[in-house]
Amino acid sequence: MRLARRATPLRGGQPRAFAVGFIVALLLGAVLLIASGFNPLEVYAKMFDTSLGSLAAISKTLTRAVPLGLAGLAVAVAGSMGLWNIGAEGQIIAGAIGAAWMARLGPDLPGPVLIPLMLLAGILGGALLAFGPGVARSRLGVNEIITTLMLNEVALRAVRYLLNGPWKDPDGNNFPMAPRLPDQSELPTLFERANVGLVIAVAVVALFGIFASRSAWGYELRVAGSSAKAAEYVGISLRRKILTVLVLSGGIAGLAGGLELAGSAERLNENIAGPGFGFAGIIVAALALMRPSGVAAVAVAFGAVQVGGIGIRTTGVPGSIANVLQALILLGALTAAVLSSYEVVRGGRAAPAADASAPVDGAAAV
Amino acid sequence: MNEATIVGLLVSVIEFGTLLYLAALGETIAERSGVLNLGVEGMMALGGVTAFWVGVETGNPWLALVVAMAVTALFACIHGVVSVVFGADQVVSGLALTILGLGLAAFFGRNLVSARPNARFGPLDLGFLSDLRGVGDVIFSQSAMTWLALLAGIVSWFVISRTRIGLSLRAVGESAPTADAAGTGVVRTRLTAVAIGGALAGASGTYLTLALAPGWSEGTTAGRGWIAVALVIFGAWKPGRVGLGALLFGGLLALEPRLQTFGVEISPILLSMLPYGLTIAVLIVISIRSRNRPSLAPAGIGIPFRREER
Repeated sequence: MRLARRATPLRGGQPRAFAVGFIVALLLGAVLLIASGFNPLEVYAKMFDTSLGSLAAISKTLTRAVPLGLAGLAVAVAGSMGLWNIGAEGQIIAGAIGAAWMARLGPDLPGPVLIPLMLLAGILGGALLAFGPGVARSRLGVNEIITTLMLNEVALRAVRYLLNGPWKDPDGNNFPMAPRLPDQSELPTLFERANVGLVIAVAVVALFGIFASRSAWGYELRVAGSSAKAAEYVGISLRRKILTVLVLSGGIAGLAGGLELAGSAERLNENIAGPGFGFAGIIVAALALMRPSGVAAVAVAFGAVQVGGIGIRTTGVPGSIANVLQALILLGALTAAVLSSYEVVRGGRAAPAADASAPVDGAAAV
Repeated sequence: MNEATIVGLLVSVIEFGTLLYLAALGETIAERSGVLNLGVEGMMALGGVTAFWVGVETGNPWLALVVAMAVTALFACIHGVVSVVFGADQVVSGLALTILGLGLAAFFGRNLVSARPNARFGPLDLGFLSDLRGVGDVIFSQSAMTWLALLAGIVSWFVISRTRIGLSLRAVGESAPTADAAGTGVVRTRLTAVAIGGALAGASGTYLTLALAPGWSEGTTAGRGWIAVALVIFGAWKPGRVGLGALLFGGLLALEPRLQTFGVEISPILLSMLPYGLTIAVLIVISIRSRNRPSLAPAGIGIPFRREER
């Protein structure tokens, strides 16, 4: 008896891996909670109650899933071509800055005009922040992982600079905060806490899902993602694709920033990217195997974990347990996914496994 | 600008340099073995909280350092096992480590925010050296950990570039299949390198909470872990150059709160963007220059190794 790699992956392997990861995370989280003197059953019940237990709770979870899903989609768009956009966090901030700027330019515009303009500015803001890494990667082969990562910190400091200087509220008692957004810039409510941002996010994810699986462009994307050589052989311009994909990815994250500003925030602030929506988006995309449908599902699950994490604070349990759970879900699922690609074989040597994990494009200089 | 301000600035440059160097050196070792670990920020936070907690409980900074290094070494092994043994993507696994580390640090550190440990790495008195004017304050009154960081740097340089162990490390980082064929244990080498990297990030966290800050609150690491990741590239994966980079970036961090004192009209927040901007600039310069030359980065970085697939 020995372990061997499966010739073909298990069907439905990823949802199963996610489920295993989820259970493992809850168990390890329970150990942590018990060790700190909390009752894990009570805590988890409270988490469930505050995130999925009522229509109001569900509306909060879905609202949270919007930035998570869009950030996840942003990462997935790049990921389907074998690129890593680690900069969704910064692009969300850039998107929020863009949207806030638009609100400053036209504070008296009616809502139906102002809101679309703000969202457009958000998309542009995120796209602009991804443009630099896109050019550097496509023209010079500069690794996009590090450039997008570094720009996160730059974007965070850019918003901090604006709040402390040029955009500081003159009536803010010298606090580093932006003035309140005009009332009509708030996204219309859908039900309870959910706003139309949810509809926009669902539409974007669905649109991209259809586009990626049905269009020639989407097909080329996947070819380029699975083999750079094959793509060049059939005449796909990698350079242009890399740039387009990264800019598109940044634009989607920027839209998340615009929606957060117009939907949930009263004013532009340093925490507009929440407790790390951009980084969580990377986990979401990884768990969804870069597929848009998976992104939506995982985003809702993570939205529930995050909203539940806020919900348990009233009982004295630190909300940081939500972050711990998210990371554990991913690590558990990664492990489960790898283990599920093995099977127990009796004796003899198994047939050689298909090479499913060859690096896509290792040519980029770090 | 008087002498005291300048001395104060230079003292701070070395302090921040120590903080960054310890973490960046660890990341250098991991990356030389071919493993990118984006978990530095989380390891630093977890190490910092661990050290602070041990410091509060026992009052012994050395015990705090040892425990923190052991904890973060084990913690780094999560990334090691998931990405090296299981072959999962290093980027994802490393980021998960950062999120997990920051979450655990916030969770366990929640009751420590107002605590004051009597354990501290204070200035080391080196007799007449410490009494020298200027130099005595800037260099010879640093804490023991600054000297340890320097020692760790020299040892790393020597081991990586002058010994058999270092040769194996580099071979694994450049081409795991080749190293494997030559009989080097790829998984063992990479796991060890990742664990050492974790231990050094833990030491950096210890320095943060027991010397530099000193104290703990959520957000104490403030993105310094990412600067450490940047430094490795800035320093071209060489312990010596990474050290010089640590002093440069440490200088930028030290300048931040002092700009106004020096009468400079630039916002310190804009200055704080510089380490990240510089790293991007360096990356671009490297790739323009390396068009006709081999890349400075370990060739095997980010590529999982599975023996069956050879």
